[in-house]
Amino acid sequence: MSAETAQAGITRRRTVAYLGLSVLGACIGLLFLLPLWWAFVNSLRPGGDTFRYLNPLQWETFFTATPTLDNYATLLHSDLGLATLNSIIVSGITVVVGLAICSMAAFALAAIPFRGSGAVFIVVVVSFLIPFDAIAIPLANLFRDWNLQNTYAGLILPGLGNGMAIFLLRTFFLAIPKDLVEAGRLDGLGWWGIFRRIYLPLSVPSLIGAGLTLFLFQWQSYVWPLLNGTDAQHILGPIALSNMQGQFNVDYGVMFAGSMVLTLIPLAIIIAFQRYFIQSVSTTGLK
Amino acid sequence: MKRKLLAATSLLAAGTLFLAGCSASSPNSGTAIGSEGSGTGTVNLLGPEDPATLAPVIAAFKAKNPDITVKYSQVPFDQLNPTLEQRLGAKDDTIDVYTVDQPRLSQLAAQGFLEDLSSLKGQTKAAVPDAQYSVNLYQDKLWALPVWNSTQLLFFNKKALNAAGVKYPSIDPAQRLTWEQVVKDGKAAQAAGTQYGLLLEQVESYYQLQPLAESAGGGSGITGDKMLTTDINNPGWEKAMQWYADTFSSGLSPRGVGGFQTSPIFTSGKVAYFVGGPWDIGNFAKSNIDWGVAPMPYFAGGSQATPTGSWSWGINPASKNKAAAKKFLEFASLDPAGNLSTTDATTIIPANAAATAQYLPKLEALGGDKTKGLAGLIAHENTETAKPRPVSVGYIQFEELMGKAFADIRNGSPVSERLKQAAQQINDAWKQL
Repeated sequence: MSAETAQAGITRRRTVAYLGLSVLGACIGLLFLLPLWWAFVNSLRPGGDTFRYLNPLQWETFFTATPTLDNYATLLHSDLGLATLNSIIVSGITVVVGLAICSMAAFALAAIPFRGSGAVFIVVVVSFLIPFDAIAIPLANLFRDWNLQNTYAGLILPGLGNGMAIFLLRTFFLAIPKDLVEAGRLDGLGWWGIFRRIYLPLSVPSLIGAGLTLFLFQWQSYVWPLLNGTDAQHILGPIALSNMQGQFNVDYGVMFAGSMVLTLIPLAIIIAFQRYFIQSVSTTGLK
Repeated sequence: MKRKLLAATSLLAAGTLFLAGCSASSPNSGTAIGSEGSGTGTVNLLGPEDPATLAPVIAAFKAKNPDITVKYSQVPFDQLNPTLEQRLGAKDDTIDVYTVDQPRLSQLAAQGFLEDLSSLKGQTKAAVPDAQYSVNLYQDKLWALPVWNSTQLLFFNKKALNAAGVKYPSIDPAQRLTWEQVVKDGKAAQAAGTQYGLLLEQVESYYQLQPLAESAGGGSGITGDKMLTTDINNPGWEKAMQWYADTFSSGLSPRGVGGFQTSPIFTSGKVAYFVGGPWDIGNFAKSNIDWGVAPMPYFAGGSQATPTGSWSWGINPASKNKAAAKKFLEFASLDPAGNLSTTDATTIIPANAAATAQYLPKLEALGGDKTKGLAGLIAHENTETAKPRPVSVGYIQFEELMGKAFADIRNGSPVSERLKQAAQQINDAWKQL
């Protein structure tokens, strides 16, 4: 009897603890959502009202009784539409071409034994340890000499060879059993066949993870397009958003609406692929 | 093996840095590669303005010069200076004309980033006010043409002052308020329910805070024959900065709002007094609040000082179309109609004297009764109280380090020590010039 009571007590305590932790987790999650929600609410009211309800905090800080889409309508007349399209084009091409390059490089480093592969791998690691901003200026000068200024190619090229993506993919490739390679060889596959028919199909999650890395690099690209002399036709999302903050005045409502548009696209992509992304990051490093 | 790897890594890193260094410096070693060009074709203009602001001047120029097309590229305001430094330093010929922040002119000229426009000296001197002419000179040569001018005004929220029973300040410069009175009235407005008493539009910028120190007798902060000696630890600067710090520590001004873009707080009715520029008038006229305008205050017993200066435009020496670029520049600055068209979309004072005379009554009419007497006030400020920013090749470092000091002071750093630290930092930066 007493043992049963004790057991029930433990179960109840566990349930309470579980519920408590869940509620705490949900609250912390909501706190992370709050800034995004606040930006969203402010995108639905006139820019002049942004600060009206900020201090002291009140229910209207986080909700609006009279939502309007005027700010989004204003966006239609701005550069943001073209800029978002350009960002999608640049990021999309970077992901496709970049993945092809990075996965081949990672395959060579992981599967093909050759002299100096260690040194090449070090170059790859060093390349992503140096912040891109630090090499952007000399790189911009080179691009200018090569007449790549103010071109899509000039915007896309720096994002293609991503050391981090190569590193992630190589680590994943190393976990693929060598027996499979040998079996493939016995069946007459060359290196290309092994790469395309064995490695790639087995690595979809890590390819998605690497793809997201490449995508985010370009989606957030800010310093590079400025250095590269990007004009109004080649303008990218972050620049168009920053341009909305005029020198003399700023409409915060439109700024928030622009921020929402630029946030929602990567958010949708990440949510759609998050399962694979988490899987790829958690399995890299396993052998 | 590990040691070998480590050695290889270090060697590689060193090699990469060396290569980066080489490629960074090589483009600067060549001579200027620009040319006059045919006087037709495309002129690339670069600046921080909204394209809508410059569309009228570009269209007006095209109507007069059908064989020249001006193409404008906008760079975010915060990134303008680093972007210009990098692209001009690399002799980028895709910039023909660019906007020059007037106090930065001497350094840009000293670095060889501006084309000498001395052949236009006579015309420019005749077309613009003296202060707007001299600000474009460096070593007796003319490097850019002035396009806009500016001043600062005290805006007030009538509802907030009514609630506190405070009399509206007069627009007459002879009845200018003192900062002490503004603090007193602002606190009364706060007691009557307005959230903040006072807010300066550019809370951390030297442009707006220089007049505080000037009014308190502290000078511009730069002295000496070469204008490379700091002077920000004198009693005038300390008094002005202590007063500024107190407006934040007492809650008269909000600490949480940073940077430049503060006018929406005034239009949301939360501030009694707001110090801003003529560019605010257009937006305030569209807002729902009832407001008025008065001269920028001064310290009791001190001198009356207001900010001035704005943007000039200059030609990139590496441009391959200098003749056409020069035509456009002359139109935007020296031609009264052209200069006036730069102010069609944004309320800002044109630099050209003839354009200003036509513009000010238009600006005054914009606010209706609220801005009655504004044209006279701005004309008075431009000629009587305007204190230009110091002309020094070290201005860029000075402005950036002072901006950081202002930010710290408004957030509670002890004034005297922070100014000493700023002077030290500026002197260190200037040693490298």
